[in-house]
Amino acid sequence: MANTLRLYLTCIRNTLEAAMCLQNFPCQEVERHNKPEVELKTSLELLLNPVLICRNEAEKCLIETSINSIRISMKVTICHLEVKQADELENILAKKFLRFLSMRAEAFQVLRRKPVQGYDISFLITNYHCEDMHKHKLIDFIVQFMEDIDKEISELKLSVNTRGRLVATEFLKQFI
Amino acid sequence: MDATARPAIVIDNGTGYSKLGFSGNSEPSFTLPTVVAVNESFLDQKELLSSANWIAQYNAGVMADLDYFIGDEALSRLRSSGLYTSRSPIRHGQVDDWDTMERFWQQCIFNYLRCNPEEHYFLLTDSPVGTPESRECTGEIMFETFNVPGLYISVQSVLSLSAGYAYLKSISDEDSDPSSDMTGVVVDIGDGAPHIVPVVNGYVIGSSIKSFPFSGSNVTQFVSQLLQERGELLPPEDSLDISRKVKEMYCYTCSDIVKEFKKHDKKPDKYVKHWSAIKPKTGVPYTIDIGYERFLGPEIFFNPEIYSADFSTPLPELIDSCVQSAPIDTRRALYKNIVLSGGSTMFKDFHKRLQSDIKKIVDDRVAATNARHRVEVRPIEVNVVAHPIQSYAVWFGGSVAASTPEFYEYCHTKEEYEEHGASICRTSPVFKGMY
Amino acid sequence: MILLQSPSRFLLQILQDRVLSGEKGMDIDCHAVEFDDVRYHIQLLLGAEAAFYPNFSMRNPKVMVLSVALPLPSPEAILCDGLPLDAIEAIKAAYGPVVQILDPPKDGFDLTMKINLTKLPPDEEQRNSILTQIASVREVVLGAPLKVLLKHLASKTVAPNVDKLVALVHRPNESFFLAPQADKVTIVYPMRFQDSIDIVLATSFLQEFVEARRTAALNNVPSCMWSPVPPLELKGVPAEALNANSGFVTFVVYPRHVEGKKLDRTVWNLLTFHAYVSYHVKCSEGFMHTRMRRRVESLIQALDRAKSDAEKLKKLVNGGSFKRLVCTLCK
Repeated sequence: MANTLRLYLTCIRNTLEAAMCLQNFPCQEVERHNKPEVELKTSLELLLNPVLICRNEAEKCLIETSINSIRISMKVTICHLEVKQADELENILAKKFLRFLSMRAEAFQVLRRKPVQGYDISFLITNYHCEDMHKHKLIDFIVQFMEDIDKEISELKLSVNTRGRLVATEFLKQFI
Repeated sequence: MDATARPAIVIDNGTGYSKLGFSGNSEPSFTLPTVVAVNESFLDQKELLSSANWIAQYNAGVMADLDYFIGDEALSRLRSSGLYTSRSPIRHGQVDDWDTMERFWQQCIFNYLRCNPEEHYFLLTDSPVGTPESRECTGEIMFETFNVPGLYISVQSVLSLSAGYAYLKSISDEDSDPSSDMTGVVVDIGDGAPHIVPVVNGYVIGSSIKSFPFSGSNVTQFVSQLLQERGELLPPEDSLDISRKVKEMYCYTCSDIVKEFKKHDKKPDKYVKHWSAIKPKTGVPYTIDIGYERFLGPEIFFNPEIYSADFSTPLPELIDSCVQSAPIDTRRALYKNIVLSGGSTMFKDFHKRLQSDIKKIVDDRVAATNARHRVEVRPIEVNVVAHPIQSYAVWFGGSVAASTPEFYEYCHTKEEYEEHGASICRTSPVFKGMY
Repeated sequence: MILLQSPSRFLLQILQDRVLSGEKGMDIDCHAVEFDDVRYHIQLLLGAEAAFYPNFSMRNPKVMVLSVALPLPSPEAILCDGLPLDAIEAIKAAYGPVVQILDPPKDGFDLTMKINLTKLPPDEEQRNSILTQIASVREVVLGAPLKVLLKHLASKTVAPNVDKLVALVHRPNESFFLAPQADKVTIVYPMRFQDSIDIVLATSFLQEFVEARRTAALNNVPSCMWSPVPPLELKGVPAEALNANSGFVTFVVYPRHVEGKKLDRTVWNLLTFHAYVSYHVKCSEGFMHTRMRRRVESLIQALDRAKSDAEKLKKLVNGGSFKRLVCTLCK
């Protein structure tokens, strides 16, 4: 399991390294405006083909690139209608955590406040971000972010289960 | 039953003490020191989680994050066992440790008030100079962790002012509407950061807020320093604790220090108090005398230079400059209603001294104006309002405010929070006045 | 705090203050609301206001009037005069002469009683235990029928004229069910929660109860089951009482769980099972919140590392002093 995660993350890293070559590009339609083209999609020649990297049917990562901005969207939760009980817990924890992160989007600068439709969390990196920050470290951050989300959710799940056990034990011990 | 049908919960977290209770009551149900005693030996959750064996973990420490105490229980735990570390979530009137604050609230709600936070609206208080970020954090914890249906974060000074009005109304039979004229200067001195806040028609004049650097905890320190300098044998480990009790029980405000020194020297047996206790470590009883400290402690508000060389503006002068910086058409009304709030304004005759000192400054200015312009200016009325609920005036104001039907309209609701995020808590309507 | 305590701190504090404060009296007029909509109103009126309540004020600094409102009963629960069965007897047995029940109760409340502090026993320990008992009025009143049933279990009999299935109120408009038999009592809780996250967390907690019961150390505790559908015991209960979004928990209590001193503890624990689970769900959310906040901080740090030195320097020039800038340059 851990191995597939590493492969998945390496793939994302390589793709990002290749895709993240952004340059300043003023808006073609409005003078003195400079907008992330990947969001506006004003003209097709500015966009590159999006790349979709899938780990399994639940977890995937969409990387959309344009001349001056790149958008990375991730899906972590399952949206099947029939989810198993255990998965439901994981799902709801993931949702809670991602919501928590999106609410703090300002602090993260590159995080989008709303994910792209169909995904759980999205980043938007513009050429300005690339100028302010080291590119490879920015990629490090994105990869660490994905890794941390994965780790945090499984740790949260474990801790909820452990707590549940402790709570139950404390209650039942009262009857001894 | 709808949450609006239940009384709202009013929590006023001060630097020294937190006041909590239900709206509509005339006094808080609990007054607790704002202290948390946490057991940090098991905080390293990662290590514990990696050893997946839950029985081992169970034996190691039962839910370490629930193993903590607040208030007086925390203080007694801290004294009796070395297992706990003391944490104060609030420093100088503002929250600086949100994790601890969250725990404090958790115990307040579940252990002390024993209520389900999903079923009650909440009124919390914030210092007049509190940052929007801190209000955001408060909203986040309240809505996300506790799932409260509605929250209102009020500014402490406005609540103190309305408490003063509500009190005046309750003692006089006049049917005046307390909300009709919410104008006055609030002098709020607690254990944290003292503020002087002018309020006009219920709106805070943000630009005229003044801070005074010394608070109740400084009085405690000063008393302890004086006792030690005079050679009283205080056990060092609880010298601050004893000084605090001495301050609360014996300190008073004098009208003139020189006269007061003479009085003490003439009749020491009348003025000098004694304090006996037992040394916590050795169990030996001891007695200390309390002399000049009784009036020198509160004197730091009127002559700050006796405590520290860094700040020398006395409190009355600061109040005067606060009013002088407010819009000119509000000044008379502000002088007329100077309201005290917070535990450190409870010293005997504190309001009398404050009133006479401010009066003197104002009268001098009027006289100077009269002399310079050869006019006869109408004398300015100065009025310092003292009332017996000063120590929990903020809470009382909150209780009054939260028991009005309009309160539920002003609240930020959970739906709003989910729609717009924590930013709804950033601004407080009381700062949006015309000034 | 892991377990919920029976006495209400609010009442206990007022009662103890009153006992210690001696003869001089001050008006007390306080109300409080506890979990599951149990409301208290404690009054001690000495002044002019006392005239408004001629029935409830004694003008005596040692006599207080305590009114209690219980959670709204669901239709299937059996009550007598608005109180759970046997509650009056339980109050009399628990408090003796200190407490006198006033009839009818105050408007909006289910029970009003007069507490006469002069009749407290002089011995401090006994006095405190009575005061704690009064503060636990919730357990005494709501738990009365449960206590009677479990008492019969302790003597291995079934109480006469008791139905096969008894519904007892524990939350507003919600009840839990008991099926008493001579050798065991089966207790079923339909578990309901409001928030969607609460439902999922609570469901996983409830399954842990079953798991925990299987460990060797807890072999002797009541057996515990969880199922998403109503268990067989609840046959014949109206459907609206059975819509539980967190499933059903069943405990089977045997005589050994209610022997002697264990009885009171068992009554309280069974009475507040839902509150206990809900409290811990909330605490877990708090705990998760703390963790997530920490994680966000570490992620922001990771992002800060990505910022180039030029950016950091810019920040220094803007925010920091010139001295610090020189220091960084020298390095």
